[in-house]
Amino acid sequence: MAKYILRRVLHGIFSIVVVVGIVMVLIYSLLSRDQIFATDPNFIKVAANRKITYKYEKWEEFGYLDYVNYTDWLTDLVTNGELAAEARSKLTNLGKDAESDKENVAEYVKKFTDYYESKGYTVTRLKTVMAGKKVTNGGQPQLFAAKDIPVLMRLLTYFGNLFQVDTVNSAKNYEGERKITFTLYDPLYGGQKFSPAIMGQGTFHKYLLYFDNEFPYIHQNLLSVNLGVSYSVNQGVEVVTTMTKAQGSYVQRMTTYPTGLTEMSADDLHSATYMAGSRDSIQLRKDRFLDDYTTTITFKSGMSRIGYSFVIGLCSVLLTYLIGVPMAIWMAQKKDKAVDKIGSVYVVFITAMPSLAYIFLVKAIGNKIGIPTTFNIEEFSWTMCVLPIISLSLRPIGSMMRWLRRYMVDQQNADYVKFARSGGLSEREIFTRHILKNASIPIIYGIPGSILFSMTGALVTERVYTVPGIGGIFINAINAYDNGVIVGVALFYAVLSVVSGILGDIMMSIVDPRISFSSKAR
Amino acid sequence: MENKIDLSKHGLSEEELFTIVTHDETESEKITAPRYSYWRSVFRVFFRKKINWIVLGILLVLLLFTYIYPRFVPFDRFANVTDSTSKHLQPKAAIEKYGFSLSYILGTGASGEPTFDAVWYGSKISLSLAIVCAAINMVIGVLVGAVWGYSKKIDLIMVEVRNIIANIPYELLIAVMVLVLTRGFWTMVFALTVTGWLGVAAFIRTQVIIIRDREYNLASRCLGTPIGRIATKNILPFMTSVIVTYAALEIPAYIGFEVFLSYIGLGLSDLTLGKMISEAQGSMVVPGWGFEFWSPVAISAILSIVLFVVGQNLGDASDPRTHM
Repeated sequence: MAKYILRRVLHGIFSIVVVVGIVMVLIYSLLSRDQIFATDPNFIKVAANRKITYKYEKWEEFGYLDYVNYTDWLTDLVTNGELAAEARSKLTNLGKDAESDKENVAEYVKKFTDYYESKGYTVTRLKTVMAGKKVTNGGQPQLFAAKDIPVLMRLLTYFGNLFQVDTVNSAKNYEGERKITFTLYDPLYGGQKFSPAIMGQGTFHKYLLYFDNEFPYIHQNLLSVNLGVSYSVNQGVEVVTTMTKAQGSYVQRMTTYPTGLTEMSADDLHSATYMAGSRDSIQLRKDRFLDDYTTTITFKSGMSRIGYSFVIGLCSVLLTYLIGVPMAIWMAQKKDKAVDKIGSVYVVFITAMPSLAYIFLVKAIGNKIGIPTTFNIEEFSWTMCVLPIISLSLRPIGSMMRWLRRYMVDQQNADYVKFARSGGLSEREIFTRHILKNASIPIIYGIPGSILFSMTGALVTERVYTVPGIGGIFINAINAYDNGVIVGVALFYAVLSVVSGILGDIMMSIVDPRISFSSKAR
Repeated sequence: MENKIDLSKHGLSEEELFTIVTHDETESEKITAPRYSYWRSVFRVFFRKKINWIVLGILLVLLLFTYIYPRFVPFDRFANVTDSTSKHLQPKAAIEKYGFSLSYILGTGASGEPTFDAVWYGSKISLSLAIVCAAINMVIGVLVGAVWGYSKKIDLIMVEVRNIIANIPYELLIAVMVLVLTRGFWTMVFALTVTGWLGVAAFIRTQVIIIRDREYNLASRCLGTPIGRIATKNILPFMTSVIVTYAALEIPAYIGFEVFLSYIGLGLSDLTLGKMISEAQGSMVVPGWGFEFWSPVAISAILSIVLFVVGQNLGDASDPRTHM
């Protein structure tokens, strides 16, 4: 069994990698790169040579290519100490074209060209654009190098950066000793209360492991998953953060800062991360923090996107099994009677009708009864979830009724059932002990999947009821050409699908001992 | 001769009781069975149910309106766009304004277009898309599925292929197709079928595997029947009902899918049922504007349900076991 699962996991990882590769080819190679400028308000403001460099800058941001501008390269040389700062300012003055460069400039231009051409970059030199005697707006000469990122390379770096471990060398430009300390008394609680914590100096997060009074009580920042960064929808925010960040208004509570200052604040000091020089730049931070671990996440009243989707999805899964299973059993018991016929009509209607049609119908009916039809984080009440949960459950209940009834009816003519009946068992016993047990095996396979996939949210339902869930994240990313998010979410979906397949098989083999994956007889 | 009955006692002669039949060599070689035509039986069983007549009648009316009605009543969405008094009219007001005609019995929409005409114009595109997609998927799916189920080597590869393709989000695929090609009917067909056949193929594969190793096929193979004949004579008839049922599910599924895609903004640029629903969403809550929203919803629902029921019952009827 263990061997089989391992094989399945390896196969799963293989398909996930291929899926991500295909998604990357689709969005980076098949789609025209100019698409991203279609909705960019800044694009029409830039002109001439500046427009070209602006394009390259954006393409680099969106992950299409690697782009280096000549002036940036000079700046890097200065920071590395290979060039004096005064010399740099003279070297940035490019001539109108390659021939009219001054001698020392030409020398560095050649250096730049040789260096990047040897690394496979394409070096481009743009001449000054003149309108009469004047240089046009954005017409200044430009020199830059660019290189497309090959798909394989992109795939490798993506999976290489997928898991990030926070080590003592994670923080950039950290001054002072880098080390990890362990304390039994978390200083955040005044250093008196017993609360173990692992803290770092030189790590990106200040707290690597800590306890607090929020579920699941123990939290870690040691290992994080990096699915990619958003470029257009949430500029610069990681996909994982978009999914899991709390929403709503700030929740303020009494907070004691490291300096001893106590005030009402929404800062979650356990989430403090490092940014070099951040403390000294603002007086506000100077008053509160002792070091450069000043960036914090804030406590908010609502749940995260994934949280809302998961809660609603989970409730609808529960409702599906609570209603669908008894209904299917009832229909199978009263085969061809009134219950069965009414149930079948429901199944036909709900499977055939476009989902949008019945969701709106539910919304209209709910509106008539007076159940809230729109979601509001600030005034959250469970009645807001009623309609989304019902809308989400209607079709799964229908399909549960259809399939479980079908399996049970098929089992009714099996020999073991006839044998049980001839042995004198009551119909009730036969149904619950024997038929249901055998008929539910294919249903059990679907349980992990239905639970896991409620994490992906429901696009239409969430949009109709304005639930701040995760269902729309993928479509929004596609519409905004947010490549980082597209890849990250596609990976997330693929992982869920592989995991639910494996878990489903495991559950089946637990419930039914006849199913064995270890022997070759399968 | 003890037990021989004396016929003369009963007053019957031997000629009265028996007629002499001559032995015919050619006649004795013929084997006769009740005449059986598969498709005739299918329709006999299908039309035996009264509900099927009703549903088929509704379907016929729907098809007439979808495909024939727009030919006679040309639909121009923006014909009344300049007339501001023509917009969002309730049926009564529209009929008062334009006089009674079938076009205005559902009022007018946001551009002053008659909702009734718009619904049929939209359903023509939606239904055509669904039928074309379902047809392509079924043809490719059944062919690939048959080979996939029959060959164990291909099975190994195809299972992996399926694991990969099934995990590529279809929204992305459609969005990329729409952007790379143009946003037209055939692009949509291509985008929907480029991976859509895989589901059909996987389903057929399972069915083929179930039947493949049955004893009668084993016997057939032992007797040296070529694979082609096994496929067409042994396996295909067995699967007709399954294929018909599945095909019937595909069409309503695609109608619903088109509505969904239009709603999330990935649909066709033409006016389809889905596009009408998503555009008229705001009208749902405005009192008096309900018709322009609920009409396409209702038509898409009725169309799907009718097609579903017809397909389901046709599938049942095409199962030879119901032909008794």
